[in-house]
Amino acid sequence: MSDQSAPQQTLSFLDLGERLRQRGQFEAALSVAQAGAARYPTLAAAHDLIGRILADQGDDEGARSAWLATLECDATHPGALKGLAFLAFRRRDFGDAERYLEAAAAASPRDTSILTALDRVRSMRPANAPEVINIDDPVAGLLLLDNQGLRLAGGLGTGRDEQMADAAAASAAGAAREAERTARLLGLGAWQHLLIEGDSMRTTLLPATAQAMLLVRRPATAPVGRLLAFAARAVQAAQAWLGNS
Amino acid sequence: MNPERWQRLLEDVTAIDGVRGAIVVTAEDGLVVHEAAVEGLETGDVAALASVVVRRAEAIATASGDSEVRLCTLSAEKGIVIAAQGEHGLWLVAVTEPDVELGRLRLMLGDLAPELG
Repeated sequence: MSDQSAPQQTLSFLDLGERLRQRGQFEAALSVAQAGAARYPTLAAAHDLIGRILADQGDDEGARSAWLATLECDATHPGALKGLAFLAFRRRDFGDAERYLEAAAAASPRDTSILTALDRVRSMRPANAPEVINIDDPVAGLLLLDNQGLRLAGGLGTGRDEQMADAAAASAAGAAREAERTARLLGLGAWQHLLIEGDSMRTTLLPATAQAMLLVRRPATAPVGRLLAFAARAVQAAQAWLGNS
Repeated sequence: MNPERWQRLLEDVTAIDGVRGAIVVTAEDGLVVHEAAVEGLETGDVAALASVVVRRAEAIATASGDSEVRLCTLSAEKGIVIAAQGEHGLWLVAVTEPDVELGRLRLMLGDLAPELG
């Protein structure tokens, strides 16, 4: 959470640090930003400023730490998400860059600079380079659960904690039961997936095995067809995970 | 509430190849408000079941910290049930064959559902 108690004067150190950064006076800018962050450790903007300064200095590891600290203060901070995407792009990890930009787009859906960057990153990824699937990664937006609504692995993605993942797993098991019942009673055969769309996110729930199901969550900027194609691949990964666990 | 208008909306939906029928339902209690060309299906069953699925989908969205559900699609081997949120707790629901033009139908339902009410 952002530090709501930080007084208005805190803006002055942020403005000063940013002006120094823009002039290329990185050491002075860093000194100001670090002093501010020490005074207001839960102020996301302070850590974000440090991230930008360190990135300008070419210290990608330092910048990454600063932006992760920003997300600890504000899990949907668009500046930090964009910064982490930039670092991923710089190391040519286009999958990671896309993931952070999608999270940034979900947080700021009207920011055209994010959408433009997202298009660019997607165009950079080779057509034959599929998105990496890691069932155990809590920020990958893949939640594996059993029929009783207990979380087996994964999470809901950036900005969503384990408690929310557990609650979503519990709800998802109930939704799966109703999806199965509805398809059966209407004579539609076995259910294949339930796609849930809102203004900011798209989520799909699909059976992985007879005892488990997978919830895949992506920002609304992710095309529906792509989400479903990815979800089908993720089910295979989940089946392998269940076989190996 | 304008049943004639609803009838026109539903006829637009059922004009798409593969759409077996379309109904306007109340999400809260799963009642049929209006219906069109639902072949071989009990509209009361469709409304009740679709409203439960929508409520369960809303529970997932709430638990995930997401905004309200606008569109909910249940895809099965032999068909699809798709529900789009309208005004005043009404949902526009279509039941289709599995090979329906889903892209076109999604857009149409998304455009038409807000005109309910």
